Amino acid sequence: MNQISRRQAMAVLGALGLGATAAACAGPGGSTAPGGATGPVAPATGDITGKVSFAHWRGEDKAVFDELIKRFVAKNSGVEVVQDISTSNDYNAQGLQKVRGAAIGDAFATFRGAQFKNFGEAGIYTELKNSKAVGNYQKGLLTAGQSGDSQLGLPYQVVFPMPMANTELFDKAGAELAPKDWDAFLAMCEKLASSGVTPISWPGGDVGNGGQLFNCMIANNAPVDDMCAQIEQGKLKCTDDWFIRMLNQYKDLAPFLQSNATGTAVEPAQNLFSQGKAAMLATGSYHLAAVRNLGAKFPIELVFPNTSTDGNAKYEGVYNATFILGVNSASKHQAAAAAWIDFLSEPENAGYYANQTAQHVSVKDVDYTNADLKRLSPWLDKKTALAARFQFLNLDVRNAVEASATAVISGTSPEQAAEAAQKIVDERL
Amino acid sequence: MSTHTGMAAKRKAPESSAEAATKKRRSPTRVNPALYLFPLPAVAVIAFFLVMPTLQAFQYAVTDWNGFSAAFNYVGVDNFIRAFTKDSLFTNALTNNLKFVLLVVIAQTAFSLLLGLLLTKNSRGSILLRALFFFPTILSSVSVAFIWKFIYDPNFGLANSALGAVGLGGLQGPYLGDNNQALYWVAVTQVWFHAGQMMVVYIAGLQSIPRELYEAAEMDGANKWQQFKSITWPFVAPATSIVVAYTTVQSFKAFDLILGIAGNPPKSSLDILSTRIYSTFANSEFGYAAAQSIIFMAMIALVTWLQRRLLRLTPKGE
Repeated sequence: MNQISRRQAMAVLGALGLGATAAACAGPGGSTAPGGATGPVAPATGDITGKVSFAHWRGEDKAVFDELIKRFVAKNSGVEVVQDISTSNDYNAQGLQKVRGAAIGDAFATFRGAQFKNFGEAGIYTELKNSKAVGNYQKGLLTAGQSGDSQLGLPYQVVFPMPMANTELFDKAGAELAPKDWDAFLAMCEKLASSGVTPISWPGGDVGNGGQLFNCMIANNAPVDDMCAQIEQGKLKCTDDWFIRMLNQYKDLAPFLQSNATGTAVEPAQNLFSQGKAAMLATGSYHLAAVRNLGAKFPIELVFPNTSTDGNAKYEGVYNATFILGVNSASKHQAAAAAWIDFLSEPENAGYYANQTAQHVSVKDVDYTNADLKRLSPWLDKKTALAARFQFLNLDVRNAVEASATAVISGTSPEQAAEAAQKIVDERL
Repeated sequence: MSTHTGMAAKRKAPESSAEAATKKRRSPTRVNPALYLFPLPAVAVIAFFLVMPTLQAFQYAVTDWNGFSAAFNYVGVDNFIRAFTKDSLFTNALTNNLKFVLLVVIAQTAFSLLLGLLLTKNSRGSILLRALFFFPTILSSVSVAFIWKFIYDPNFGLANSALGAVGLGGLQGPYLGDNNQALYWVAVTQVWFHAGQMMVVYIAGLQSIPRELYEAAEMDGANKWQQFKSITWPFVAPATSIVVAYTTVQSFKAFDLILGIAGNPPKSSLDILSTRIYSTFANSEFGYAAAQSIIFMAMIALVTWLQRRLLRLTPKGE
């Protein structure tokens, strides 16, 4: 074997280093964007075969999806579906990176708002406008999955991010379940407090769940429906009168929350409600299954903290259309992934999912047999506002604006809290 | 078969001028090239998993890349300027982080030294206590975070329940719910988590001190404090240097503990640099997050270097 000098060896190693440097200096994003970032591709046609990865964040629904997968495979023998489940936080933070190369997520779900927008801009969605599935949905609930003229995703779940109420405690206290204005809401809280229970259990220590109350508090206070988008764009300000009024209403709520509410995580907040120590849990209907699992036996209703001061509220409640289903444009098994989405969107299967998970769905003609869903179904027809916090596309802005409410609960003046939030919004403009 | 004497004679034989010239031309370090294959896997791993990502971070840091788009702009040092002048969330995280590091370094160093001093003797009780104090170290940081999250819970938590049970209900607090206190309570958790590990470093240092020195000091009438000052401290000073450096880096990067205990995203009073960088990545600002990572890296390097300069703690006589 020929011998080489140390200098030659160093040259070889140096070349390797330079290679690495050159590789590192490839333009960011240059080798990415499966399907391009140029817009959605049409839904694929072809054989319903192959191994489909279904990426989502609802670990609590795994068994239900397993059963649906079994039924889907029974109908389509050449296909296999596996669930790739992340925690919701991880999915929010890394979902795009995980799904973009289609290593996972031939079919996938996204959160409404920033994540849906990012997936859309990355060109990961295929066009579902002409798919078989789209016809099964209630038209008005599909808007959250639209981008311009395209129907990129199908919002599968309808949730009500409003406080859940223990109706037994309400009856015992003689408290009203549907207060018409803010004073009536506070009077209701007063009655509940007088009966010896905590009126509202609020997970102020959990940014994600604690922030859901914001949807209710802002709905009838803001001058326009796209208020959060306008705050982010600088057209409306947190220091505006209407926003300060809302923060003052948060201040009104403070005495009716459990002690040290800003340090309470979501699980203890659920426990206070499930054990009958708190009359309301200020998260949303998406926690129905969780509180039932914690042993709550009482009937559950929804209560809208109506912030109207004259009884002429524009909205009677709030809802969110989320868990937006999509087909990955980079998938090698697009036809099978699309067939899986079609399957989930059939009323019978959507009904099975809804009743087993205690989640309403946006699919038409679903028969709700779950007692909680049946009781809450009238809310599907009420005049509800689409949850506003998901209009924020910048998560720093969203967190800062919502944090102003938490700050007020912990004693900061509404004006100071609003200024602190607006400072961050201004920095992000 | 050659003998040692024969070989030595061979080595000492004068070289011809031609041989000498050839030797001069040929490098004395020539080795079998196959030997250079051995470091290649390590070089490749370092190049791909360390050099390349680091260089990429530098490259992304001067762009406005959002992490997925093919389109991006070079923005020079704007991201670095933005971090210090137009981003109160970043400067807040930086302040929190420095405060956290300072708190933890002081408390953890003092506490682990105290543990080391109390548990140096190899008695059965000491060994049991050492195991107990070391135990948290073997837990995963996520488990630790969740355990302490529930200890601090104001309604169901162990801390408030225990205070209530012994009639000290007036001292019950919101812990993580109070923005002015939250960071201190997480610092307590961090110290609890890692003090046992640092205690082991101190015990190793303390056990290396010759007993004769203490015996001589006692004969000279030195009290315990004088013995600590003149014998113990000089011997454990190098260990302190290690403990401080390790604790600093650890506290700078307390990402998993903060995220586990405070949730994602943590509220602003608990936001530190690593969690801020994570939030910035999650907010699809890859270029800016890369710039923050570089600032973070530079800061750890600077603080570690400063510590090495300021804490040249070596035993006397060395």
